Amino acid sequence: MDSASILQHLVNGAMLGMMYALVAVGFTLFFGVLDVIKFSHGDVLMLGAFTALSAALGLSAAGIEQPLLQLALMLVAGIALTGLVGALVGRYLVLPLKSAPALNTLLITLMFGTALREAVRVFYPQGSNPKPFPRLLPDDALQLGALSLRADSLLLLALGALVIIATHWLIGRTKLGLAIRAVAQDEETAKIMGINYTKIVLITFALGSALAALAGIINGLYYNEINFSMGLNLGVIGFAAAIVGGLGNFYGAIIGGFLFAALQTIGAVAIPFGSSYKDVFAFAVVIALMAWKPTGLIAEQEAQRV
Amino acid sequence: MSAPLTVTSLTAGYDQADVLHDVNLRAQAGQITCLLGANGSGKTTLIRTILNLTAPRAGRITLAQDDITGKPTHEIVAAGIACIPEGRKVFAKSTVEENLRLGAYAEEDKSAVIARMQRVFDIFPRLNERRTQLAGTMSGGEQAMVSIGRGLMAAPKVLLIDEPSLGLSPLFVQENFKVIQRINEQGVTVFLVEQNVRQTLKIAHYGYVLAQGRVVAEGNAAQLRRDEQVQAAYFG
Ligand SMILES: Nc1ncnc2c1ncn2[C@@H]1O[C@H](COP(=O)(O)OP(=O)(O)OP(=O)(O)O)[C@@H](O)[C@H]1O
Ligand SMILES: [Mg+2]
Repeated sequence: MDSASILQHLVNGAMLGMMYALVAVGFTLFFGVLDVIKFSHGDVLMLGAFTALSAALGLSAAGIEQPLLQLALMLVAGIALTGLVGALVGRYLVLPLKSAPALNTLLITLMFGTALREAVRVFYPQGSNPKPFPRLLPDDALQLGALSLRADSLLLLALGALVIIATHWLIGRTKLGLAIRAVAQDEETAKIMGINYTKIVLITFALGSALAALAGIINGLYYNEINFSMGLNLGVIGFAAAIVGGLGNFYGAIIGGFLFAALQTIGAVAIPFGSSYKDVFAFAVVIALMAWKPTGLIAEQEAQRV
Repeated sequence: MSAPLTVTSLTAGYDQADVLHDVNLRAQAGQITCLLGANGSGKTTLIRTILNLTAPRAGRITLAQDDITGKPTHEIVAAGIACIPEGRKVFAKSTVEENLRLGAYAEEDKSAVIARMQRVFDIFPRLNERRTQLAGTMSGGEQAMVSIGRGLMAAPKVLLIDEPSLGLSPLFVQENFKVIQRINEQGVTVFLVEQNVRQTLKIAHYGYVLAQGRVVAEGNAAQLRRDEQVQAAYFG
């Protein structure tokens, strides 16, 4: 294989890893503060992408065509609405079921995700077809010696990395993050500290959902296409990444996300006709990893849980 | 700064049954009021109910003139009640300094937080040396310092303390009592749950005895020392 296609695989793998990591961090945050698995997470991601697409179409219809302005408004619309939906899911579907068995939360969010997905399929104009996603970033090739890279890929990678670092800073260094970590460790004692428990849980749900929306939008910008069922795969992979890394652990989620993408890339490159088997390969390795380390690569005791 | 805490006709409990029955008591402003009682008599439940971690079923709780009954816990804390909970409950995966900062969570003024932290370090120099250590890796005695220091960080009007000397060496217990007395001398109303009756009665201005969820005796230290219930429970 020549170095150009190696580079292409690397960029592609990094892009996927970043999207998975963004989704996995959401799972880990929800599990951290509330010990719940929110199965609508993937479909919430899809909602973020479709909201951004609708915003783009609306802006174009209104004659606002400037690409960077469009992109900025799409990000704001997609992230804000999805964050709000995440907080509403927390408030009306998850918190009320707090004293019920965890399976009930899993089921109710699974049903909500399905309803969301079906609603987009049925109510979005021709919602069952893939939708073209606007190409808004400059896609000229950057020359690195003999290698060339598309500028939009680099920009998307930089955006994702920046957001992951910012989230890490928020959790680890701010007063809000301090409260989120306190709630994650011990709900009652956090309340005794004067922390408004419900508020922190809802902010966490909004934050995790906003990250998923960003992953969905990055996905659209990278492949220039989205569809109503995009959240299924990304949701399952994000969940797997969070579990493999060690559910509840921030670094684990990032590692898990990039690990899964690396496995897919290796599968695609190393196995003959691998690109059709790459998911089978990646999931098989993840299953083996889970059997070997049932509580995740980073054991919860050793690591800082969010 | 200090304020009285009044509990009137309080009934509370968990799913099945009431644990507290018609409890009446008052922590006088600026005093140390202690609550004695055998294991399982409902002392921790009373503290939980004051903070609305366990919902009161009947009765009233007031801080100075404010009725705080049934308010969310964070509002009760904001009104000026802090708690050093039973079993210390430090945030094990956070550092000593983060634990202390959490104690002052409601305080927006950063310089006030720093000043309070300095005062806590004056009382427990060990915590200053261990600022960046994860609280969960500290010894039991050190964790007690974190828990007490964290309670002080709130600069409360009323401080609820639930068995601070549980599992500590006699020397350390004595230190703890001195610290509690010092806090009180700065004007904080203290409501103290303790099994260590002799030492508690040495520093308490007034006390109550709880048995099976009811107040069965009250009085000043001298009166309680003579009380039959206390005698039977602790000095027998
Ligand atoms: N979360 C709970 N759910 C159900 N019952 C509880 C709960 N917590 C305490 N109880 C019961 O309430 C009663 C009073 O318990 P509480 O913890 O208030 O006693 P205590 O006086 O603090 O005892 P100790 O001195 O051992 O700390 C006990 O019978 C206990 O079993
Ligand atoms: Mg107790």
